[in-house]
Amino acid sequence: MTNRYDDKKFGDVVRGYVRGAISRRQFIVRGAQLGLSAAVLAKLTQPSRAAANLIDSDPASPFESPITSERVAFLKTKPYKGTTINVMVLKATVGDGLKYHVPHWEEATGGKVNVAEVPIETLHTQIFSDLSSGLGKYDAYMTGAWFYGDFFVPKDPYIVSVEKFISDPKHSYWDPDQWLPAMRKLYSWDEKVYGVLFDGDAQALYYRKDIFGKKGIQDKFKAKFNYDLPAPPKTTKEYHDVADFFTGWDWNGDGQNDWGISLHAKVNEQGFFHFLTLSAPFVVSPDNKYYFFNPDTMKPLINSEGHVRALEDYVKFLANGPKEEIAWTLGQGWNLFLDGHSATEPTWGDLPTLAQDPKTSKVQGKIGAAPLPGTTEAFNPITGQWKKYDLNQVGNTNGGSWHCVISRLSKKQEATYDFLSFMANRKNALFNCTTGWTGVQPGMKFEYIPPMGTGKVSDWTGANPPWNEDDVVEYLKAYYAVLAAPLQQEYLRIPGAAEYWHDLDINVSAVLAGQMQPKAALDATAAAWEKVTERYGRDKQKALYKASFE
Amino acid sequence: MAAPRVERLEHGGYFKYALLLPAVIWVFAFTFLPLLSVIRFSFSSYVMGEGITGFVGFQNYVDVLTSGEFWQSILVTVVYVVVAVPIELVLGFLAAWLVNLGAPGSKTFRTIIGSPLFTLEVAIGYLGVTFFTDQGGLIAVPLSALGIHVPWMSTAYGGIAGAILLDIWRWTSFIFIIVLAGLAGISSELYDAAVLDAKNHWQVMWHLAIPLAWPVITIALLLRTVECLKTFAIPFALTSGGPGTSTQTFSAMDYLTTIQFFDFGKGSAMGIVFLILVSVVIAIFFQQMRKRLA
Amino acid sequence: MINILWTRAGFWSRVLVYTLLIAAAIFTLIPFVWAAINSVKTLMETFQLGAFIPFLQFEPTLDSWREVLSDPQTSTAFINSCVISAGTTIFALILGVPAAYSLARYEFRIGSSDITLWFLSQRVLPPAVVLVPFYLLLVYLHLIDTWTGLILCYSTFNLAFVVVIMRDIFRDVSTEIEDAAKVEGATPWQIFRMIALPLSLDGLVVSSVLVFAFSWNEALFASALTSQAATPFSALVLASRSTRGVDFNTAAVNTLIGIIPPVIFYLFVQRYLARGLSFGAVKG
Repeated sequence: MTNRYDDKKFGDVVRGYVRGAISRRQFIVRGAQLGLSAAVLAKLTQPSRAAANLIDSDPASPFESPITSERVAFLKTKPYKGTTINVMVLKATVGDGLKYHVPHWEEATGGKVNVAEVPIETLHTQIFSDLSSGLGKYDAYMTGAWFYGDFFVPKDPYIVSVEKFISDPKHSYWDPDQWLPAMRKLYSWDEKVYGVLFDGDAQALYYRKDIFGKKGIQDKFKAKFNYDLPAPPKTTKEYHDVADFFTGWDWNGDGQNDWGISLHAKVNEQGFFHFLTLSAPFVVSPDNKYYFFNPDTMKPLINSEGHVRALEDYVKFLANGPKEEIAWTLGQGWNLFLDGHSATEPTWGDLPTLAQDPKTSKVQGKIGAAPLPGTTEAFNPITGQWKKYDLNQVGNTNGGSWHCVISRLSKKQEATYDFLSFMANRKNALFNCTTGWTGVQPGMKFEYIPPMGTGKVSDWTGANPPWNEDDVVEYLKAYYAVLAAPLQQEYLRIPGAAEYWHDLDINVSAVLAGQMQPKAALDATAAAWEKVTERYGRDKQKALYKASFE
Repeated sequence: MAAPRVERLEHGGYFKYALLLPAVIWVFAFTFLPLLSVIRFSFSSYVMGEGITGFVGFQNYVDVLTSGEFWQSILVTVVYVVVAVPIELVLGFLAAWLVNLGAPGSKTFRTIIGSPLFTLEVAIGYLGVTFFTDQGGLIAVPLSALGIHVPWMSTAYGGIAGAILLDIWRWTSFIFIIVLAGLAGISSELYDAAVLDAKNHWQVMWHLAIPLAWPVITIALLLRTVECLKTFAIPFALTSGGPGTSTQTFSAMDYLTTIQFFDFGKGSAMGIVFLILVSVVIAIFFQQMRKRLA
Repeated sequence: MINILWTRAGFWSRVLVYTLLIAAAIFTLIPFVWAAINSVKTLMETFQLGAFIPFLQFEPTLDSWREVLSDPQTSTAFINSCVISAGTTIFALILGVPAAYSLARYEFRIGSSDITLWFLSQRVLPPAVVLVPFYLLLVYLHLIDTWTGLILCYSTFNLAFVVVIMRDIFRDVSTEIEDAAKVEGATPWQIFRMIALPLSLDGLVVSSVLVFAFSWNEALFASALTSQAATPFSALVLASRSTRGVDFNTAAVNTLIGIIPPVIFYLFVQRYLARGLSFGAVKG
C-alpha cells in the first residue's frame, strides 16, 4: 500500500471479497500482487482460515480429510473426554445420517453425543419449547431452514453464529466458501453463518430418459402435438403436453395404464412445495424477486394474478396422475415413479438417490434430470404488470435443508460445534450426500463433479449402494443448475413460516379437491396471512423479512 | 326392575373427606390451575419467543367464533360422534351380550373382541391408508372390483367414512369391555326367574339385562362420547384433515393452532369454547340419564 | 359362568350365536392379519395392485421387522411405555378408588353427582390446550422427559375414568353386608378395604384395563413432553412419519408388536374376572 491508487484498488479487492464476488484464494493472490504481507492477509482472511497447514489426511485421524495439523495435534489430547453433548435430531433419514457419525467423533475426541430423535410432526414444537421455556436441555438442534425466523424473534437470538469457531483451526476443517450461494443463504442470517453444513434441498424435474428416447414414442408425440417430444420440457406449456401425452396408456409395456406426472398433495405434509416450485416462474422474474410479501408493506402477494394463474395451471397437472394423489404422502408420490408408472416427477434429490437401490426401484440408470420448466410470461406483483420473456426459469431451494444449529443456552458450544464441523468435513459430507439412506443432498462445490465442482464421479459410483454413472451425472448437473440459477425463488424464513405455509397448503388442497376456486382460495390464504402477520407484529415481520433476504 | 341402588347416603364424618380429598387436591393442582393459565392465555396475544405480547380482551373468542374453519371442524366432529358412537354402542353391547352367554370358547372370543382397545390409534390410522388406497388397498380394491368406487382418500365424505370405520373397529371394544363387566354382574338367579316369564331370548335382553346394565351402559356411552368428541389420532393419521380442512376434527385444528403454530391465545380460546359446548352437552346428558334412572 | 340362556338354547340358536361371534372375531382380526401382510412387504408392494397374498403374489421380506427390532429405541420405548402405563394405572387407582367410594357412599353438600361431573370435566378439555400449561409445569418441576412427568399427567386425566366407573360400581354393591360389618364394630376404613373393595373387583379390573390402555395409546402428550429418555412406544409410532412420508411397513410392524404388552396385562387381570366374585353376587 504505497500510494492512493493502490489503496483504492485494494479497497475494491476487499469489497469484492467481503461481498463474496471474489473467492478467498483470488483475494490472497490479488492482495499479494498489491504487496500485502502474508501476515496481514492471513489476519484478514481468518474467517475462512488459511489453508497452508491443511493436509489431505493423517493416519492418526482416519475419519477426517482434509485435516489441519492443529486438528491432528488437538485430537491427540482427546479434548472432549468427559464432555457429553445433547443433540436433537429429526427421526429417520437425516437423523440416521447424523447418528452414523457419532461413534466416529466419540472415538476421535473422547466426547459423548446423546442423540434425541424426534418425529417431523413435533420437531419444531420440541425445539422451541426447549428454548422458549428456558429449559435448554439440548446443545444443538437439527432444524429445517424455515425455522430460522423463529430463532430470531427474541432480541437475543436463540442460536449462536458459528463463525468464531470456523476460524479456529483446531476444529474439523470445512469451508463455507464452498457453498453454492443460494444454499449458503439458508445457513446464514444477516450475512453471518449459523448453521453447519449438512443437507441441501432443492426441487428439480426428473423424467424417464429411456422412455423419452424411444423412437416410437417420439413419433407418437409429434403426431399428436406437432412438435418434437421435448426431453426435458422447457416451458410449463410443454410440460403439460408431455404430462398429458404420457397419461392413461401403457407406455412401459407392463399391462397397466401409466401416468404423466407424479405429485403428492396430502395436507400437513410437504405437497405444497410442489405448488411453490411450479408457480415460481409465474411470479419471480428478472424484474421481480418477491414471491411471498411486498417488502415495503408486508402485504401478501400470494393472491396476485400471477399466483392465481399458476394455481389454475397447477390444478391441471392433477389430471395426469392418479386421482388419489391429493391424499398421498411423499413416499407414495416417489413410489409411482420408482415403480416405473410415471413419466416425470418434480421433486427433491431423494428420488434419484432412492432409484439407485434395486430393492426400491425399477428405474436405475433410466433417469433424466433438469431444472423445472419455466414460463414465457410472468406477472410482477409489485408493479401489477405481465411481461413476456423468452424463457423465465427460476431456481429454488425449496425443502428442509436440514442441518444443526447451536443453542444460545448451551454451555458446551465449542464441543458441540466440534461435532457438527466433524460431519461437515469433506470426507463425512461426501459420505452423507452420496449415501441414499441419509436423505442428504449436495450443497457444496466439492460435492459436484467438474466443471461445476471439484468432486469425482467415483465418489458417487463407489458409494453404497453404488450410483449408476449416467444417473449421477444427470442428477448433479440438474441439481447444480437449480441451485446455481441466477434467478432464485426466495425462501420464506420469517417467524411463523410454518403457519404461513400451512394456510397456503390447506387452501391449495381445497382447490385440488374441487372445493374452492383458485382465486377464492388464494384470497383466503392472503387473509389468513394478514392475521399471522398482525399477531407477530407487522413492523417486526417486515424487518425480519428484509433481513432474511440478506 | 332396576338394581337396588344405594339411595340413602350417609353423613360419613371426616372419613369421606379423607377418601375424597387426595383426588380433589390432585385434580385441582394439575388441571384446575392449568385451566386458569389457559383462561389467561385465551385473553392474550402470544408470540413464541416473546411470550404474552398483550391482553386483547375477547378478540381471540371473536376470531374463533367467526372462523369458518372452527365451525367446520365442529361439524366434522359432531358428524363423527353422531355416526360412530351409536354404532359402537350397539355393536359393543351385542358382542358383550353374546360373549356373556358363556358358550364354550367365550374367553377366547372375549380376548379377541376386546383386543382392538390395546392397539395404538396412530398406527391404526396409518394402517387405514393401506385399507383405503386405490393402489392395492384391502377394502378399496375388492370393492372397486365389484364396481363400487368409493373415493375414500380424495374426498371429504370418503375420508370421514374411512376414519369412522376405523374408529368403530378400534372403539367398539371399549364399550364391549365395560358393558361385559356390567352384564357379568347380573346374578344368575335373576336370569332363572326371567327365563321362566319371558317368551324368548330378546325379551330377557330387553326387560332384564338392559335395565340392569343400564347404569354401566350410560357410563360407557358417556365416556365414549367424551373421548370421541376429542378424536384426533385416527382421522389425523388417515387424512391429516384434508383435502383442504374438510375432515379436520376440532382436536386436530386445536393441535395445529396451539402446538404447531404456538398461537396459545387463539388455541386456548378455542379450547374454552369447546369446553363450554361439551359441558352443556354432558350436563344435559347427565340430567336425562338421571331421570331415566329415577 | 354359563348363562341359563345358553343352556336352554336350541341347536339353531347356538349356531346363530357362534356365527355372530365368529363374524365379530373375523371383523376384529382382519386388520391384524393385514398388518402382518403389510409388515412383510416393501413400500412399493404396499401400493401395488394385487399384492394380497405373500409368496403367491409377492416375495415377503423381513426387512421392516429387522429395522424395528434392531433399533435400540424400540426396546427402550417398550420399557418406558410399560413403566408409565403401569405406574399410571396404580397411581390413578390409588387416588381414584377411595374418592369414588366416598362419592358413592356419603353425602356431600355440593352433591356427589356434581363432584363426579367435575372430575369428568377434566377429561373434556382438549388435550392440545392443557398441554401448554402442563409443559410449563413440568419444566418448573424438572420433570420433562421423565417417567414421573408422564405418569403425573396421565394419572390426572385417567382419574376421571376411575372415579366415574368405580363410583357406579360401588353404588351397585349392596350396603347390607357393610351394615352388618358396622354392627360388628368394623371401622369405615375396614369396611372399605375388606368388604367394598373385594366385592368390586370386576370394576377394579375394568378400570385398570382402561387406564392402562389409554396410557398406552396416548401419543400427543407423550411426543411433546418427552424427547428421548422417557419416550414411550406410542410416540415412537408417531415417528413412522419422516421427511420421506409415512413408512407404512414399519407402522404395520409397530401395530402388531405394540399390542403385546397391554394384551398380556389384559389377560393377566382377566383372571380375576373369572373368579366369579362379581358384584352380582350381592346385587339383586
